[in-house]
Amino acid sequence: MTDRSSVPTWLWYALLCIFWWGLWGFLSKIGSGTANPAQMQILFTLGMLPVALGMLLQMRWKLDRDRAGITYGLLCGLATGLGTLGYYAALQKQDASVVTPVTGLFPVLTVILALVVLRERLNKVQMGGMLLALASIVVLSI
Amino acid sequence: MHWLAYAGFAIVLWGINGLFMKLGTNRVSARSMVIWVTAGFVVLLPVLWRGTTLSGLGTRVIAVGLIAGAVNGLGNWAVFACLEKGAKASVAIPLTALYPLCTVVLATLFLNERPTSLQWIGIALALAGGAMLSYEPAPVAASPREEQAPCVQ
Repeated sequence: MTDRSSVPTWLWYALLCIFWWGLWGFLSKIGSGTANPAQMQILFTLGMLPVALGMLLQMRWKLDRDRAGITYGLLCGLATGLGTLGYYAALQKQDASVVTPVTGLFPVLTVILALVVLRERLNKVQMGGMLLALASIVVLSI
Repeated sequence: MHWLAYAGFAIVLWGINGLFMKLGTNRVSARSMVIWVTAGFVVLLPVLWRGTTLSGLGTRVIAVGLIAGAVNGLGNWAVFACLEKGAKASVAIPLTALYPLCTVVLATLFLNERPTSLQWIGIALALAGGAMLSYEPAPVAASPREEQAPCVQ
């Protein structure tokens, strides 16, 4: 799906996501000076509740009921949360400058799974972009 | 346990999560996904609370943490909407993982931090990588070799 300027609609949402998550990273940076990672994670979760409530109100309390969709949604939350706990555990044993670039490589697994399970295909430019993106994730995490 | 084992655990779960995100948005709306993902986070709250408490934290840091959570939730909605609108997981996940670029820019603007030489390289790589990941050639009619394999619905 594209708008009149031929920029794909999904790209606008991706840029919006980068902005919101970038702001999240910025606020986390401010908060992590005082609060420990677990405390921040608790606050993040509590802070997400009003957003979820807002979405529920927008949907007039009519949630999609596809069982598989619900399962994937719950698994997303659990996988992200548990992965974050693993990240914190690694931080207790190693410096953030080492752990963060390593864990930043997680999109590699997503891409492999998307290519194998979802049978997605990347063109050569996108493949090159993915490699540059991974390199930048590692460099920016150091 | 070695730190790499914990880091590997995080990589596997976050990596698989990208797949769950796409599979989920193939079935329910982006807004519904935000709600169920939040529920998944809430399930983990007792585990987190067992090891720590919020007592002793100042009002300012609590406010910052709560706002950060809300902003994170909005980011979740945006990535689900991105996938819902047809983005491939193999493009959307590496692309949105470039968010530290925005963090570096904000820290430069508001915290008076100055990017290091290495970070400048990272910024350049992120911009180039992001632009290349976003590249999708215009569909060519009657060109089966250019067709993409269908996604699992």
